[in-house]
Amino acid sequence: MAHQAHAYHMVDPSPWPLTGAIAALLMTSGLAIWFHFHSTTLMTLGLILLLLTMYQWWRDIIREGTFQGHHTPPVQKGLRYGMILFITSEVFFFLGFFWAFYHSSLAPTPELGGCWPPTGITPLDPFEVPLLNTAVLLASGVTVTWAHHSIMEGERKQAIQSLALTILLGFYFTALQAMEYYEAPFTIADGVYGSTFFVATGFHGLHVIIGSTFLAVCLLRQIQYHFTSEHHFGFEAAAWYWHFVDVVWLFLYVSIYWWGS
Amino acid sequence: MYYKFSGFTQRLTGAVSSSAYSPQGLRSNIPSESPTIIFATPTKLVSESSAAVEYMGGNKVPDLQRIFQASDEIPVHLKRGVPDRLLYRTTMALTVGGALYCLVALYIAAQPKNK
Repeated sequence: MAHQAHAYHMVDPSPWPLTGAIAALLMTSGLAIWFHFHSTTLMTLGLILLLLTMYQWWRDIIREGTFQGHHTPPVQKGLRYGMILFITSEVFFFLGFFWAFYHSSLAPTPELGGCWPPTGITPLDPFEVPLLNTAVLLASGVTVTWAHHSIMEGERKQAIQSLALTILLGFYFTALQAMEYYEAPFTIADGVYGSTFFVATGFHGLHVIIGSTFLAVCLLRQIQYHFTSEHHFGFEAAAWYWHFVDVVWLFLYVSIYWWGS
Repeated sequence: MYYKFSGFTQRLTGAVSSSAYSPQGLRSNIPSESPTIIFATPTKLVSESSAAVEYMGGNKVPDLQRIFQASDEIPVHLKRGVPDRLLYRTTMALTVGGALYCLVALYIAAQPKNK
């Protein structure tokens, strides 16, 4: 590697922004083609290209950080700001769904029967599976903190076990949510109740799946000795994301499942 | 105006012109060769240092660091050799082929039968 007299990361030219942009073009055009001509070829092509781009781009970032040592303190600072801004944007994304929910539920229109939950809707009991889900996510917040402290103290075995436990709790949550969806007495087509319920909890579920994947990548990296007790930002970003998902669930539980029933 | 990198605030600050010739706060009478980057390796207890007791496999990070830090001017996405090139070419072929296919599909979609 060439000698450089500063701490910043001068990145190599990368093809992934281009392949990612084309993947987005193929997926959006593919969606329109699917709607009009019932062919999913272009959309599938775009999805494969997106997955290939994601794999190789993030693989390169691991190479740059863990194997080439480019993630110096000022570079890590940039990564931290990036992750904070990303999570902030996610907060506003969910704020929109809460806005829709409260707009509809605080002053229910005559068409809904002037009440919330609307006439004819039997909501889920918040003290059955949703309460268990709350406990599962809170427990996973504990285990991810246990994993963080294990990494910081160089406790390799404990870090692997607690991280694996966190991911298992994430999968348990997803499985319980899938079961709830299957058993729910209303659908996404059942007026504004169904729409706000399934869009908000559905996007949350998607975020749980993404967070579990992020943590699973961290588990594989931990097994392969990528994290040191001083430098493990990839894990920290995953933990921040996981806590964010956890907090969104608490708001969903209190607002939509509990107060909204 | 000249700038230098402040190790305390981690950002650029103003500096006198001479510092442009000795950046990073290096003093001019010291050779400007940067120190070799030191990577922290995971802390290991003495009892764990023999390969037999490694929990879930051994540490290959130092070997990978050697591979990826080789000065051969190869960009990071191709540094691993044949598997990297294979994956890169597949992705690029899909990108170019997909973009062309997409343009054709959109052109056809823009020619409705019932004008």
